[in-house]
Amino acid sequence: MAFQAPIDTYQGKIREVIMGGESNQITVGGEIAMPFHFFEGEMSRKPVIAMEVYDVAPDNWSSAVAKPFRDVLSDPVVWAKKCQDEFGADMICLRLVSTDPNGENRDPAEAAETVKAVLEAISVPLCVYGSGNIEKDGEVLKKVAEVTEGQRVILGPSQEDNYKPITAAAIGYKHNVSGLSPIDVNMAKQLNILMTQLGLEADRLVMDPSGAALGYGLEYVYSIMERLRLAALQQNDEMTQMPILCDFGREVWKAKEAKTEDEPSWGDPEKRGILWEFMTAASMLIAGGDVLVMRHPEAVKLTKKFIEELMS
Amino acid sequence: MKHKVTFCPDDKQVEVEEGENLLRAAMAAEVHISASCGGDGTCGKCRVIVEKGVVEQRPTSKLTTEEIEQGYVLACLSTIKSDLEVRVPPESRLGKFIEREKAPASHILSAKGWEEHLSSWQRRPPIQKYYIEMPAPNLSDNVDDLKRIKRELGKEHGLEAEVDVDLSVLKYMARVIREADWRVTVTLLENNSSVKIIKVESGDTAKENYAAAIDIGTTTIGARLIDLKERTAVAQASNYNAQASCGEDVISRMIFSTKRDGLIKLQSLVASTISELLMKLADKAGIKFSDTSCLVLAGNTIMTHLFLGLSPKYIREAPYIPTASDFPWIKAKDCGLDVFGETYACCFPCVASYVGGDIVAGVLASGVSRSKKLTLYIDIGTNGEIVLGNTDWMVACSCSAGPAFEGGGVKHGMRAAKGAIEQVRIDCGTCEPMILTIGQTKPAGICGSGLIDALAEMFLSRIVDQRGKINVELNSPRVREGKHGPEYVLAWADETANGEDIVVTEVDIDNLIRAKAAIFAGISILLESTSVDISDVEEILIAGAFGNYLEIERVQTIGLLPEYPFEKVKFVGNGSLIGASLGSLSKEMLLEAKEVASKMAYLELSADNKFMDKYISALFLPHTNVELFPMVMKELKNR
Ligand code: FES
Repeated sequence: MAFQAPIDTYQGKIREVIMGGESNQITVGGEIAMPFHFFEGEMSRKPVIAMEVYDVAPDNWSSAVAKPFRDVLSDPVVWAKKCQDEFGADMICLRLVSTDPNGENRDPAEAAETVKAVLEAISVPLCVYGSGNIEKDGEVLKKVAEVTEGQRVILGPSQEDNYKPITAAAIGYKHNVSGLSPIDVNMAKQLNILMTQLGLEADRLVMDPSGAALGYGLEYVYSIMERLRLAALQQNDEMTQMPILCDFGREVWKAKEAKTEDEPSWGDPEKRGILWEFMTAASMLIAGGDVLVMRHPEAVKLTKKFIEELMS
Repeated sequence: MKHKVTFCPDDKQVEVEEGENLLRAAMAAEVHISASCGGDGTCGKCRVIVEKGVVEQRPTSKLTTEEIEQGYVLACLSTIKSDLEVRVPPESRLGKFIEREKAPASHILSAKGWEEHLSSWQRRPPIQKYYIEMPAPNLSDNVDDLKRIKRELGKEHGLEAEVDVDLSVLKYMARVIREADWRVTVTLLENNSSVKIIKVESGDTAKENYAAAIDIGTTTIGARLIDLKERTAVAQASNYNAQASCGEDVISRMIFSTKRDGLIKLQSLVASTISELLMKLADKAGIKFSDTSCLVLAGNTIMTHLFLGLSPKYIREAPYIPTASDFPWIKAKDCGLDVFGETYACCFPCVASYVGGDIVAGVLASGVSRSKKLTLYIDIGTNGEIVLGNTDWMVACSCSAGPAFEGGGVKHGMRAAKGAIEQVRIDCGTCEPMILTIGQTKPAGICGSGLIDALAEMFLSRIVDQRGKINVELNSPRVREGKHGPEYVLAWADETANGEDIVVTEVDIDNLIRAKAAIFAGISILLESTSVDISDVEEILIAGAFGNYLEIERVQTIGLLPEYPFEKVKFVGNGSLIGASLGSLSKEMLLEAKEVASKMAYLELSADNKFMDKYISALFLPHTNVELFPMVMKELKNR
């Protein structure tokens, strides 16, 4: 008798999260099998790529990754538009780094103005990430939620210590939330429970299980994502059925393999960085990533091609 | 005799023993009455109207003659004498009265009366006293003093075994028997097959034969004085283990023991706590402390080592080997208990490095080792130890829970002693509490059962979220930002024993959640490794020194135990102390302890990373996998 490869069946389904306003909606999620396991079940939607835009010109980007944005780095509106029009970004992830109290400490209203301007300029959905400062993010994202009402923006990162104000803002102004947990299945789930307990609908949530780059903890995040996905599909665990957002662009470009410029024996620094980011992206896709937050246009291009190939 | 008490307007009923306190009955019936002085009778808030039936009241100045005529009483000062109908007036309610689905009366488990159910061993204490009257020697009856004593023991008491003697006894014996005119009381230690004379006293003191049972806990030491003649406990006392100054848990104590003079210091500290307790017991019972002729101790392996002055150094290092698991009878003075020169002591045998004599004692005392039922025995202490099995097989594991359930690492935590808040209810809307203290006096702190109650109630009334964070946005003066973060005020300063607010802080809650998570994780892994489903377990026994009562719903609400039928859970109280008490009364039981210890298999939790995973998923109220707790989630919704 011919060998029959065993096929897993699943009871669970990943939730569908809608992003964007009336005219520019895209939906992620909806998987009923492990990523790209077409032999087990359908995967009707492609993962999407959100390109990073900073609200102030970044001062620590290596020239390899700064080069394609040279002319736009100091203007987030043009920058975002460029990502959308020239580099084919499915989404924009705007980082409000300027609000960091240990940096420029911009006030929430000012930051929200930038968000509004960017939103008006682009036609793809938006994700807005705060600076990562627990207290400030709560205030900033509240303001952002207010000025973008109805646009189904992903607000993040919502963490154990500030999920309350962020979730409340998302409920009030009808947005989505990205919950950031520290590379742990249980904590990711706990955060989802906490946010839904506050009254946020489960299909307005994505999970950010922490970003990691190739060579720098990627395998931990990979296995956490895989376990989350298995719990969602195999055990039909409702509180792990959220799509996954992978925020690794900045992690990749922090890695010395990606950012070192003057090491000729390592080969061309630009290519090296791009490949580093692409390899990370490929792994995240296979682990179950639904939204990839990325930086370099060439890495984005490669990843898009990779997705096309996997999907066909 | 049982009486039925009906509370209106809630229309809730509860059956209680005659003589039960009315406020406790309300607690059991899930009727929430204002009570902020712990049942001391001083806050005057627990006013209810007895509409039918009889209560006995202690006098109070909190009620006017008029009110008394109308049937008003203070619930906390009333003892139930008949079936009752009691009305809770609006001013005594914790919150607004809301008609809701009738919650059944709660399952308050009491450790009282447990000992009567214990399976019976032959009650022959290892220490016996015999009074003998010997003929004085003369030229024709000229055997030596020792032979004379032995001859008399054989003749008068039928003692045939080979009798040994302590040199120290020989040294004073000749004088004592002559001064006593050949009438003496001989104390014998009967161990296995050998018998040894350990004391000779003048006159007849056979009636004054006492043993002390001691539970050497990492945080708390409990002691009980047993009258070996009457076979009853005559006094009980407990105190914190003085070793706590050298580290909270067994690991830090082991580290301390390897420092210079560390071992000596630890041994003398535990000896000092035990000495004090023994003197307190003698004092309470009105006996001479030299009448305590034996000590039976049960403690975890490390505590036992430290008591005996054995270095636990190799327990800490892989492959974690104790010096011994089985210990000889020793003289108490060899362990630094100087006052008790002639007292003999024996420690319960241990199983492995982290499963000790306290567990062996508890498993024996609670009957697990003789039961056919598949039982889960959980000892909640600083070291949570869990045993699964029955008379045929037993597997044990141990997890570090920390001292939170004994009041350690908790701001206003205390031992289960007078004045400790032991039961708590909190109203959902107003956040007002109903508290009851041990001995119904002004609250002085919170003991383990009170902490479990408090956490469960704070969770159900949404003062804390599932992660254990206090919601400071609640509109109640009791929820506030304290010096060390958010806190909830359980009792206001003017109602407490020391004139300070008694609070539960977010840090306390964190410690409690960690403790419960460790125990829950231990239970899950033990069940998983033995392929036993919780529904296959026929009985759960909980042991621990955290109070007189334990409410099984609250225990499940915080996710310390999996959801499981209430009727099949029993609360043993301090299993280790009960085991030690029984051991002092039965040498047969002490022998069986060795057998049980050698039969118990040990499961090492740190062998893989499963424990960490289970632990983190249990660091949530009631648990990350909320679907395992449908009853708790339902209750949360209902409130
Ligand atoms: S007077 Fe009864 S509880 Fe305070």
